[in-house]
Amino acid sequence: MNRSQKDRSIGRSLQEYLRGIAGGVMFSLPLLYTMEVWWAGFTMHPLRLLLYVLATFTLLLGYNRYAGLRCDFTPLEVAVDSVEERGIGMVISAVVLWLLGQITTEMPGSEVAGKIIIESMTVAIGVSVGTSQLGGSNNNDDTGTQESTPFLSEDSDLIGQLAIATCGAVLFAANVAPTEEIILIATQTTALKLVGMAILSMVFGSLILFYSDFSGSQSFSKSRGIKTIFGGAIVTYAIALVVSATILWIFGRFDHTGAIVCLSETVVLGLSANLGASAGRLLLQ
Amino acid sequence: MNLQKNWLEWLVFAVSFVLVLCTLGYLVYDGATSAKTPANIELELGKQQSQANRFIIPVLVTNSGDTTAETVQIEVTLENSGKEQESAQLEIGFLPRHSKREGWVTFQTDPRTVQETKARVLGFEQS
Repeated sequence: MNRSQKDRSIGRSLQEYLRGIAGGVMFSLPLLYTMEVWWAGFTMHPLRLLLYVLATFTLLLGYNRYAGLRCDFTPLEVAVDSVEERGIGMVISAVVLWLLGQITTEMPGSEVAGKIIIESMTVAIGVSVGTSQLGGSNNNDDTGTQESTPFLSEDSDLIGQLAIATCGAVLFAANVAPTEEIILIATQTTALKLVGMAILSMVFGSLILFYSDFSGSQSFSKSRGIKTIFGGAIVTYAIALVVSATILWIFGRFDHTGAIVCLSETVVLGLSANLGASAGRLLLQ
Repeated sequence: MNLQKNWLEWLVFAVSFVLVLCTLGYLVYDGATSAKTPANIELELGKQQSQANRFIIPVLVTNSGDTTAETVQIEVTLENSGKEQESAQLEIGFLPRHSKREGWVTFQTDPRTVQETKARVLGFEQS
């Protein structure tokens, strides 16, 4: 939640929370409507779930640190915001899951808790993105300089870019990763088509980076741009593959599965993750 | 460190903080205590009811183990002096750990006319 130091009125903070709630629901509704995610809530081992919670929390910290409209946030404020987003995410998932009939009073506590915890992760990232992206045009001029830095160029904040790309990849990939379709496609596809998917991923990634860069800065030279974009596309795809593999492992898609099928699942999901990672650059603007 | 917050923000933060702490605490506790015992499925047959041209019996399925059972197949047979009269099957998609699910089996034979009604789990997938 981005807040201005001057104006601390209730109405303003309420507006920010509502913006976050809208974003949370908007970005995570596909996951809340996916039965594989409900099942993962009670079949997943608690320690793996704990790891997922910690990983998403780190990601939230990263996103809030680098994508916040105000860059002069103290670490404490970033942590406070991340905790709030997690809390709001849990409340939203509990309400929606209850409305969908997926949590009832007859269910054992572990099933209800598992479903809410696993769904609340993406909702929390959605809340974070929603708060900073929906509206928020009232930021000062001093943030303008940071927005026009080209993706992964020498003068840009590399860790920040990586954090944002990872967040975008998770937001996109998490929506399809738990579904049966990924393993279905991965087992039925051929090696050549997988290569095609990898190339398509990088082409899409380059296109997104190319256009987002040009909408972001006017003084950005074209020749240097293409080189930077090509490098950026490869780094982005690498992030996308790592994110895909991690999410697939968390959702148990790698359990007792041959290495080649795991790889093919990762490439299949990598297309979606790469779109998110590249669009992460857009999320900054 | 100076955090400027109004009461609404403090309230949201306090509630969120408690939720996050509870989540972490619960997961650590659950991870530390839950053993890896396989699904342990118990069946309990309820009171039979008669419908238009069939008889239905409720089946209460309980998993007291620590792991979820998938596609649980259950068979209920009506027997007369050890000889099978009629059998019916029931499949339950997901039976999470420490939870219950309920289903029905239907028969054309009146269960009251047979000596014994037996229920058993045929098999299930471990998730």
